[in-house]
Amino acid sequence: MIETNRLQNLEASEQPAVITLSGVSFGYDPKQPIFQDISLTIAQGQWVSLVGANGCGKSTLVKLLNALLPKSDGEIVVCGLQLNEENIGSIRQNIGMVFQNPDNQFIGATVEEDILFGLEGLCLEPIEMGHRLQVYTDKLGIAHLLDKHPGELSGGQKQRVAIASILAMEPGIVIFDEASSMLDEGSRNELLDILQRMRAEGKYTILMITHDADEILASDRVLALYGGGLAADMTPAELFSNDDLLDKCNLRMPFSWQLARELQKVGINTDVPASEKELIEKLWP
Amino acid sequence: MAIELQQVSYIYSDRSLWKQTALHNIDLSIPQGSIVGIAGATGSGKSTLLQLFNGILKPTEGTVKVLDVTLQAGEKSPKLLALRRRVGLVFQFPEQQMFEETVEKDLCFGPLNFGMSLEEAKERARKAMVDMGLDLSLLERNPFRLSGGQMRKAAIASVLAMDPEIVVLDEPTATLDPVSRAELISLLERLCREQGRTIIIVTHRMDELLPIADRWIVLKEGQAAFQGSTQELASDPSILERCGIAIPQSLRYWRAVADRFRLEGEVPRLTPKALAEFIASLSSDISHPEIEKRDNHE
Amino acid sequence: MSSEKLLLGRTIETGSWVHKLDARGKIIGMLLYVAVILLSHSWPAMALLAVFSISVMASTRIPLKYFVKAAKPLRYLMLFIFIVQVLSIKEGEVWLTLGSLSLHQDGLRLGAFSVIRMLFLVSFTALLTFTTTPGKLNQGLEGILSPLKKIGMSPDRLTLMIGIALRFIPTILDESQIIMKAQASRGADLAELPLKEKARMLVSLLVPVISSAFRRAQDLVYSMEARGFRMDAPRTRYHRLRWGLADTVFICMFVVMGLAVAIL
Repeated sequence: MIETNRLQNLEASEQPAVITLSGVSFGYDPKQPIFQDISLTIAQGQWVSLVGANGCGKSTLVKLLNALLPKSDGEIVVCGLQLNEENIGSIRQNIGMVFQNPDNQFIGATVEEDILFGLEGLCLEPIEMGHRLQVYTDKLGIAHLLDKHPGELSGGQKQRVAIASILAMEPGIVIFDEASSMLDEGSRNELLDILQRMRAEGKYTILMITHDADEILASDRVLALYGGGLAADMTPAELFSNDDLLDKCNLRMPFSWQLARELQKVGINTDVPASEKELIEKLWP
Repeated sequence: MAIELQQVSYIYSDRSLWKQTALHNIDLSIPQGSIVGIAGATGSGKSTLLQLFNGILKPTEGTVKVLDVTLQAGEKSPKLLALRRRVGLVFQFPEQQMFEETVEKDLCFGPLNFGMSLEEAKERARKAMVDMGLDLSLLERNPFRLSGGQMRKAAIASVLAMDPEIVVLDEPTATLDPVSRAELISLLERLCREQGRTIIIVTHRMDELLPIADRWIVLKEGQAAFQGSTQELASDPSILERCGIAIPQSLRYWRAVADRFRLEGEVPRLTPKALAEFIASLSSDISHPEIEKRDNHE
Repeated sequence: MSSEKLLLGRTIETGSWVHKLDARGKIIGMLLYVAVILLSHSWPAMALLAVFSISVMASTRIPLKYFVKAAKPLRYLMLFIFIVQVLSIKEGEVWLTLGSLSLHQDGLRLGAFSVIRMLFLVSFTALLTFTTTPGKLNQGLEGILSPLKKIGMSPDRLTLMIGIALRFIPTILDESQIIMKAQASRGADLAELPLKEKARMLVSLLVPVISSAFRRAQDLVYSMEARGFRMDAPRTRYHRLRWGLADTVFICMFVVMGLAVAIL
């Protein structure tokens, strides 16, 4: 598992950078910065998890990328565009964001209106809008919900609508800001499926703020924020082997990792199983 | 029994503005001093069920018995204020109900409403803070200045301050980080094991509650599809799938091991540690002819 | 019944010709209808009004009982107005005398007119919300107000505001209900308390509801901006407003009706 992740990293690093931060700082009060001097590069097509304890500034950091919040210092380049007053519009077109609360990002009074909200702002022709409506509602499995009010939808359905609204605008970068944390288990698994399909398509760079061990494990690379700076830039496997870092970021290992660890403690050496079936086959062939 | 429902239905009246799931013919009993998990897909009626437990909703059919109070459909209900003190109901995202300028005042809100003196209320508030693992220095703080995890615990403490015998929580760990979630669950476990309170928790994340829960209630479309001990649930978790719930990893791994050795009536091991130790004991037995025999026999 | 449906007026889709009309036409038609009602002063005019209104309602293929239901909440108000009119107007032939009270012909007539007008006003204008989705209605309103742009006002802002209000009012009401229940669980049951206490308890409801509304507003702003929204930036429309012959006919119907009732 570690090897495959490395491999993906290697491949990804040959891709051009789509996000570059150099010396970025932010604080509502300049004397008390939330984070300072953050520099990092994300390559096209990568799936990056951004982790850290609550209040460490993850959510703030991603909001700087499309100027939802103003950076205090440093340089941000998105898709070759320097973030400044003139470029905000073009940069926002390149970045789609899915937020935590399914209700509060539902802008339209119906699913259709919500998806159209972004498309109309892009000044697309009605034919093109109709086309995208069809493509993206099919893709997210919500085509039958077009005339529904948000009140008639479950949390999971609302998050799908949010994702459809974002993807229909065809951004190259999609940011998920704890998008699964208010969902039930089933909907979270569905969201993970959607993310995996997005990766398979290859046209999206994914940046995901999350606490969920399974989501982190599915990504290519982990960035950890701690103590106002970037504490780590590693693979998920490296993160889950680093107890100190897990502690600092208030994270837990996935169940299968914990189990492998506990098995080692009682003298059974086994790799982390991919599923319960694999565990049984390995232990008792 | 702390709570007993007999043939309870709850139908929202047509005039109700709020779309919620009705309940149909529910029979259930919750023993005093136990930890009970309630699971169910979105719209299965979990929130409606919780509100029957402290008389916020009254049954439209059947009988709800909570402690020594009986609520019968169609009959005039007894005074509910006393019951509400004894059954603390913690709604989802309880930090959103905080409104006073200090944590202490917010914690005293409940006790004062139930007629306690200010002294007594403050004492209760301090005790509730300790129960939730919060530092007493936070009492003077503005609740809106606390961190997310602290706010959640303080809000739960504001219900505990009423000294309820039964504590009912609707997804208490939602949106918290994994460490805070585990911490909160173990605090809730202590409320039951050390203080004898009955703890009822609605959860979407069964994995975190499975190791400590005594019993489970699984709802499907307003009906109780399953009711029984954690062991009974672990012996056939497929009921969860039929109710639209993903089977938690701990149950999947346990079933895989238990099925491999055709174990029946075994206490489920639902934490990685317990399972690893159990596997170790099986593995050392595996060369043992008895296990082999049992394995081949059936 | 969900709160959305109640507040937004319920759209009942039947695909009739009225459903397909341009929302601008329907809004203008409704305004003209109000004028028609105000101009109806005689029994023949009332009769014509009734025949006209009922035929238009029937042509939507929405069962008439829905229109009646729309006016039902106002039944006591109508009764009250009728009684006031009957008792206060002392002109015309006396029909009945009971002690100091007397019923005059004009009183009865004007009272009946008031009730009939109100009945038709409410049930007929319900046609607008029955046949038009909130989104289209809002777009129609924007279309009608668009001349205001020339004098420097921004109807888009108004309609955006209305749209967001319609979208979030049910959510916030829903949340208020939960907070009310949560505080009741902490012993503050508004229904069971004396009035003076109630005022105090209101704070425990208002503070959480308002702070949560602000939180929602912040989230909403983020998600609108993240989707590239800028105030007064150009936008295209997926559903274009299309003025057709049917819309002109629809409007003309009301003009003709207005002239007819004015003559009668």
